[in-house]
Amino acid sequence: MPAAGAGGAVRRLAWRLRLVFLFAALAALPYLLSYSQQEIAVLLVINVLLVSSYRLLTLTGEWSLGHVVIMGVGAYASALLAKQLGVPVPLSTLLGGGAAAAVAAILSFPLFRMKGFYFLIGSFAAGEIIRLIWKRFTDPFGGPKGLKRIDPFPDIEAGFLSIDFYEPVNYYFLALVVVSASLFVLYRIERSRIGLTFHAIHWQDRLAESVGVDTFRYRTLAFVIASFFAGIAGGLYAHYVGAVNPTRFSVDQMVYVLVWAVVGGTATFHGPILGVVALTVVNEIVLRALGLDTVRPLIYGAILILSVLYLPNGLESLGTRLRARLQHWRGGPAATGSEPA
Amino acid sequence: MSRKSLDRKISRRKFLGTTAVSGATLAAMGAGLPRVSFADGHTIRIGFLAPLTGPVAAWGKPGLDGCLIWADWINAKGGVDIGGKSYNIEFIGYDNEYDAAKARTGATKLIKEDGVKFIMMLGGDTWPGVQKVAEREGMLFSTLLPSDLSPDSTTLVAPCEVHPIYNVTGVEWLAENRPELKTAVICAQDDALGKPSVATYLAAFEAAGIEMQDEPLFFDPATTDFAPVMTKLLAGNPDILCLDTCYADYVHPLCEQAFQQGYKGQIISCTADFYQKIIEKTSAEFMEGFIFQFPDFDDPALNSEGVNFVNPNEFYAEYAKRYGASEWSAVSWEYASIMDLWADAAGKAGSAEPAAVLEAMKAGGTGKHAFGTADWWGTELFGIDNALVGNWPVVAIEGGKATIKEFRSIPAWWDKHKDLMVKHMTALGQMWNQRG
Repeated sequence: MPAAGAGGAVRRLAWRLRLVFLFAALAALPYLLSYSQQEIAVLLVINVLLVSSYRLLTLTGEWSLGHVVIMGVGAYASALLAKQLGVPVPLSTLLGGGAAAAVAAILSFPLFRMKGFYFLIGSFAAGEIIRLIWKRFTDPFGGPKGLKRIDPFPDIEAGFLSIDFYEPVNYYFLALVVVSASLFVLYRIERSRIGLTFHAIHWQDRLAESVGVDTFRYRTLAFVIASFFAGIAGGLYAHYVGAVNPTRFSVDQMVYVLVWAVVGGTATFHGPILGVVALTVVNEIVLRALGLDTVRPLIYGAILILSVLYLPNGLESLGTRLRARLQHWRGGPAATGSEPA
Repeated sequence: MSRKSLDRKISRRKFLGTTAVSGATLAAMGAGLPRVSFADGHTIRIGFLAPLTGPVAAWGKPGLDGCLIWADWINAKGGVDIGGKSYNIEFIGYDNEYDAAKARTGATKLIKEDGVKFIMMLGGDTWPGVQKVAEREGMLFSTLLPSDLSPDSTTLVAPCEVHPIYNVTGVEWLAENRPELKTAVICAQDDALGKPSVATYLAAFEAAGIEMQDEPLFFDPATTDFAPVMTKLLAGNPDILCLDTCYADYVHPLCEQAFQQGYKGQIISCTADFYQKIIEKTSAEFMEGFIFQFPDFDDPALNSEGVNFVNPNEFYAEYAKRYGASEWSAVSWEYASIMDLWADAAGKAGSAEPAAVLEAMKAGGTGKHAFGTADWWGTELFGIDNALVGNWPVVAIEGGKATIKEFRSIPAWWDKHKDLMVKHMTALGQMWNQRG
């Protein structure tokens, strides 16, 4: 109907305007930050991709403890391809994502024989095996010390244009482009029929099977896609920092990803992104600026406990709650306040 | 609606409101901080880039505490004389959480925003993240772990702790003073700190004619249950139990397990940080004769001629007064001793600029190490002569107190047994040209 069509057009326009404002803000952001804060912004953008890719896996209802190791697979693969075979870094980063996806595909055979808690433990064990391989085989993985002097993204020199990717502001924009494109793909996947099937498997896997959905294949697909993008995040990390080692991809780091996801919430696409942004800003900028370096783990833990107690559905539910409160204050009909689980 | 639930709702609303306001305020404070805040003309800033939290914090935080004492003393005396002008010293700390990426961020902050002239690091896993920054910015860095050194790390020096090479002195002393000990076992966390140390101990044991009962036992750094580790180590009833360079978080439970499993033999370790707490968990008898490499600085032996650390006994007393004697660790004095060397070099150079200080520091090929005059050394092991190597103390726990038994020469051991060291370092892939 014309009215509905007009409403839809307005919504689309509003959505596009929001995106334009968001990208304008993201483009302006590094120029409002100090040099070291630009460095933090680079790592934050990479972590946004990591946690968003993790969410795709959780859509099928499975929570993994091996996602950071999978990121490490991408980082190691990309670093080795560039360092030892001379593969151009942009290509090696893509191939690193491919390697992470391939490892995930292999791991899916034993792992998806398990569900729930058993999958969680199984993914942890699989991740530890991969980390032990990195430690055990000094050639080619560098052993416990890992790999260093990893090739950076090549500088761009074209006439008046000179881009040095050592500079965090330049790498920020590179990472932003890669991560934005990746997020777009992840978003489209979630909104596609495949994404709906992931949701169906999460909530009613038996029912989905009864109507012909091959849950093993779809779980594998989610795992492989999530791992591909985690691998891309690993490549972006390795070629920026210039070093990777097994400790960087330990379960300690995985806990951070879980905390970002839990604090942000996983019901919406933007939930985990809110979590990683909010906690990184608090942990890396605000608390450091306040001279609270040595008590940051304590405060971080307190934030996690408080958010679980008072925001069990994550930061993403804050908007819904605030709207409900506003309606209540205005004396309107009580909002249901229901939030996605 | 009941009063109780209303109260709860108000409380929750207050919480959310307070959180939002606090968050916004904190964020505003963070954003409002000056982007660049260089020190004034009479103060030189020194960066302290080390783990201040997490499992490796024991080798960072006590060092910063020691540096604050050093700075207070130097500043009370009028500061460091550089080019005829006195400068106060201010330390700027950054917690790198023993992470390469955070170390890179910290290095850029210290250099570009805090305007430091020298950065002290623990090193290890964090150095590779910083190396590119050091090269680009030409900043002088120090590490406690010379295994970070390589021919391309020209602005990195290891002027205090030549980890793990000094561990040979403990084994050598033990072999001479307890020749009846013939067998040993060793364990270490499987990481960049554990492996070169294991290679060093293996070389030292071989040089001393002590037989290894088993292959080195590498445990994962995430290990929390050390009972099976210790059971395996003690299975052959070894004369010597070597704890390598385990972090304090591992040395303590390992000692507890050895005690609980009835071990009566000799223990040797690189460190015994917070050893009073180990004694509390075990017994003074069990810890009697425990050999390690890091003295308490109230030891009278540190007043002997040749020791360059300024007022060691007073330094220890002040440290104990400020932070408690049980907080003294292997690194409490090390970063401060590096500052002695830096201040001396800056004075000689007449400048605090990194390149000038480095040149003055290495002039003549020798330097004033905390434990005596030492040589800039390391080409054969690290590919570059940027490690300051000389004497190192062997320490034993006697009557519940760390006591220096003797100062021994590392270069003298090296001259006799360097082939063994190179052999074991190579076998574990720890030579500079084998790394990453």
